Amino acid sequence: MSHDSHHAPVACKTELAPERSDLGLIRPDRATGWIDWLTTVDHKKIGILYGAFAMFYFLVGGVEALAIRTQLARPDNDFVTARMYNQLFTMHGTTMIFLGVMPLSAAFFNFLVPLQIGARDVAFPRLNAFSLWTFVFGAFVLNASWFFEFAHLAGWFNSFDWHKALVYTDFAPANGWFSYAPLSGTFGQNGQALRFTGVGTDFWIIGIQVLGIASLAASFNFICTIINMRAKGMTMMRLPVFTWMTLVTAVLIILAFPAITVALIELMFDRTFGANFFNPSAGGQPVLWQHLFWIFGHPEVYILVLPAMGIVSEVLPTFSGKSLFGYPIIVFSGAVIGFLGFAVWSHHMFTTGLGPVPTAAFSLLTMAIAVPTGVKIFNWLGTIWGGRIRFTPPMVLALGFIWMFMCGGFSGVMHSAAPADSQQQDSYFVIAHFHYVLVGGVLLGLLSGLYFWFPKIFGRMPNAPLGYLGSALVILGFNLAFGPMHYLGLAGMPRRTHTYHAGNGWETWNMVSTYGAYMLGLGIVIIFGNLAWTAFRGKKCSNDPWDGRTLEWSLPSPVPEYNFAQAPVVATRDAFFEDKHGSKRIGSEPDGGEAGVHMPSQSWMPLVASAGFLFIGFGMPMMAMGIPHAGWMVIGGLGVLFLGIWLWALEGPGGYMLKTPVNRDAPVPTETAAH
Amino acid sequence: MFSRFFSRVGLLAAPFLAIIMAGCSKADMTVRQSTLDPKGPVAQVQFDVFMATVWLVVVLFVLVGGLLVYAVIKFRARPGDENEPAIVEDGHGNPLIEIGLITASIGSLVIIAIPTLNAIWYTDDVPAESVPTSKLSVWYPRVEGGRENYAKTVEEQVLEVDVIGKQWWFRFEYPQLGLTNDAKHSVPNEMVIPKGVAVRINLRSEDVIHSFWVPKLAGKVDLMPGRKNHMWLQASETGHYYGQCAEFCGDSHAYMLFRVEVVEPAEFAKWVQRQKAPAEPVAVGTKADKGKALFAAKSCVMCHNVGGHFGAGAFGPDLTHLASRKSLAGAWLDNRDPKAQLALEQKTGNTESSVEVDRATLKANLIKWIGSSGVAHGADGKTLTKDVKPGNRMHYYKMFNVAGLRETNQKFTAEELDDLAEYLLTLK
Repeated sequence: MSHDSHHAPVACKTELAPERSDLGLIRPDRATGWIDWLTTVDHKKIGILYGAFAMFYFLVGGVEALAIRTQLARPDNDFVTARMYNQLFTMHGTTMIFLGVMPLSAAFFNFLVPLQIGARDVAFPRLNAFSLWTFVFGAFVLNASWFFEFAHLAGWFNSFDWHKALVYTDFAPANGWFSYAPLSGTFGQNGQALRFTGVGTDFWIIGIQVLGIASLAASFNFICTIINMRAKGMTMMRLPVFTWMTLVTAVLIILAFPAITVALIELMFDRTFGANFFNPSAGGQPVLWQHLFWIFGHPEVYILVLPAMGIVSEVLPTFSGKSLFGYPIIVFSGAVIGFLGFAVWSHHMFTTGLGPVPTAAFSLLTMAIAVPTGVKIFNWLGTIWGGRIRFTPPMVLALGFIWMFMCGGFSGVMHSAAPADSQQQDSYFVIAHFHYVLVGGVLLGLLSGLYFWFPKIFGRMPNAPLGYLGSALVILGFNLAFGPMHYLGLAGMPRRTHTYHAGNGWETWNMVSTYGAYMLGLGIVIIFGNLAWTAFRGKKCSNDPWDGRTLEWSLPSPVPEYNFAQAPVVATRDAFFEDKHGSKRIGSEPDGGEAGVHMPSQSWMPLVASAGFLFIGFGMPMMAMGIPHAGWMVIGGLGVLFLGIWLWALEGPGGYMLKTPVNRDAPVPTETAAH
Repeated sequence: MFSRFFSRVGLLAAPFLAIIMAGCSKADMTVRQSTLDPKGPVAQVQFDVFMATVWLVVVLFVLVGGLLVYAVIKFRARPGDENEPAIVEDGHGNPLIEIGLITASIGSLVIIAIPTLNAIWYTDDVPAESVPTSKLSVWYPRVEGGRENYAKTVEEQVLEVDVIGKQWWFRFEYPQLGLTNDAKHSVPNEMVIPKGVAVRINLRSEDVIHSFWVPKLAGKVDLMPGRKNHMWLQASETGHYYGQCAEFCGDSHAYMLFRVEVVEPAEFAKWVQRQKAPAEPVAVGTKADKGKALFAAKSCVMCHNVGGHFGAGAFGPDLTHLASRKSLAGAWLDNRDPKAQLALEQKTGNTESSVEVDRATLKANLIKWIGSSGVAHGADGKTLTKDVKPGNRMHYYKMFNVAGLRETNQKFTAEELDDLAEYLLTLK
């Protein structure tokens, strides 16, 4: 039987005969090339795919940002139309958050978490592949709205006499990334479902919904992985901080996304079926949308920033040659930030007329969240204090992260004072604040992580001078772009405005900001170009080029598909570093190795199941447009989804045995129990 | 060499300091919509809280940032370090330092929490101490015919202004003074309030969420459909203030501006009387008379009210006193002579001083505004001008029984536009 042959150890997976299930379905274990990438369940390959898609969408979102800045460079400019501008900033925000930062964080989760905890793979490899492809199709649906918009602008739809109606002329979403109802929803009496915006909003709703499914599936997977699959001796308080922050982030996603899921379903019912959740003229409550959105949306901010904090907490000790200062309190403050993150959502709503008591409560809670954030900054400072700082590209970016994130935190404290916020809310001051957090903080952290782990991922070292040049351009350009926005906001420039008149005193700094944005863009192109080139052609490097501290650096670069030839046993935090420089801290479990490592079989089914979302994603907006029979496309998509999951269940657990190189003769360190 | 460059991180701070210093001139702090130039108690309190946060943040920035720069320079790797033994230690941190820093952080937040809490209650509604001096009976003089619309009880109240947001303009109503849309006396674009008097603002929306923001007088509060929001403000100086919708509200959000004209109380009473006066009759046979006929023929009358001439429209802005207003089209177009205005602002050194409406500018604006958005006009009847306000209701709306100029395919020749403008110019 194929099952038996699969469990005879082989040196290479292509030696395998294809495995067939009882239904005759083939598990594509032998595949190489693009089929291998489409069917892979290997967390490292999934991580690389996440990273590649994320970097692509970073560039898409960046182009949108540059179009926005070009439009705002001069007063009364008409580089893009008002509607196109509104679509651009909506898609810029949505793209950067859901298609840029979140998947790039997911790329790090995927690649690193199993390596850092000494595991073979994630807990549910096929579910992991499902998360990836669901993200890919969700992103595709969201951006397909651009295709329809440009097709409409090019006149492709002019021959239809229905093209003048609003729903057929407004194809890309234009509500802002938080899509406030009722602008995104409906008006009119019961059941009329008259809309303020076109079908772009429907694309946005279903796109975000699908992306949420991807994030939820991935989060369950990582929580299971981190809780259950840690190497022996890897207690929770010995986890690398990046893995800790992954865990906190995953918990946040699971608690936060249901709120947006509910909100999106309600909005979809409003628009498609004439429900009245947010329709004020039929008794609905627009402010309900804001509460539901922000109780997701604020934790979302921490979902974005905690992984970057985790990365920085790995980079700083490595290049300071010192362990992380106050590890327990960094971990604890991360958890406190996650917890408090659910108690501050209404600070996005200080101007909605909450009344003084809730305003005061959320004002104080928002100030409170500055404390654990400050604690992290103090401890990072403590980490480099007394160290030997090596200014490698990842370290430069990590130091930039602390500096810029601190500035973003400071303007955050300013916002927490609600009376001051009533002047700053929805002005460019807010734009400056969250870009300092999300670009100066998150993006620099993620770039630092890319430079830091790239040698591990591809076994090749990125070019350092290009890295320095890119980092300098990014940091300087970023400050030039967003620093002046503090002033613009205080000078009364509201956000999301297509243009402005000369005479308001906003001309100079808008122009400066645009120059800065292009400088930032150039820096990103240099860095991404440097990294892309490195992935294929870069100079080969050693397994541990940075003198790393955590388990992934004990592996060969690039990491073999089975990760650890034998399951490691660790005796301390930063076990690999102490093992190198002090006493024995890493061993391996004495489980032989002659039989090889048990590998999960590859599968088409995650991809098939995810493809169902493609049909749902196009069907729902078409249904909202009133295209006849579009509902059948949604039902067909659901059918594909269930078919994929059903066959997934029927293909059986699969798996095969892979021979690994010579066992490391490593006894279990004796101190395991002591710590 | 790159490493050495980056070890001097402190150098990076220099250009930013320079930028901050350059941005600190007085002219930059007092621009039209500056939040840093408060002209009333509400804006002042909000500014004071802001400055408290600024000083706190500056101190923290210098302390933490200074330490960071010091650490980065002091603890940089030096040649020969690679021969030293690695630092192997447990990163437990130092409990005393941690607790000290946490306590200090909480303490510094208390410093801003107290003024914050005070200001939250102060800015919420007209404070009790302001009510006696703000009662209508105190400052609203007994001008003849000015008292029929409010009863004795109303006199004991503070002045209330209803602000109604629509896509994409603001309508102002003074229910206590009889200036309401129902009474065909509403005021679009420009809110007029008396100086030194606390005004309660009731915020209402007829479609999506908007936000009322006139930075020099008060921070913003949203206009939520289906909700009754309020705020208050008081202006300490007369003048012309600039405001803008601050919540994204669709295609023309950027073009949804408004003005606040602060006048002496006596002047305000006269203004109220003027708002109630009907438009003057138009002489028969003049260009304006032809324009008046066009106003009816081209369906303008469906949406716009002109007191004394036409009374059907309630959907669009009231035009009875159009030519007396300094702005047009949701305050996006300015009816004043731009050069004269700029010269005056430079002379007086503030943006609140304002010249009067310039007839030629207003006429040009009217022609541009009505003739925009793809409404064919000109000698050939085909010339199209650019949208003044993209998606604006006057041209594009089509809902229920109301339709815009473009949707009803109205065409104007250049002469017709001129006539129409001449008519509108008579509406003072």
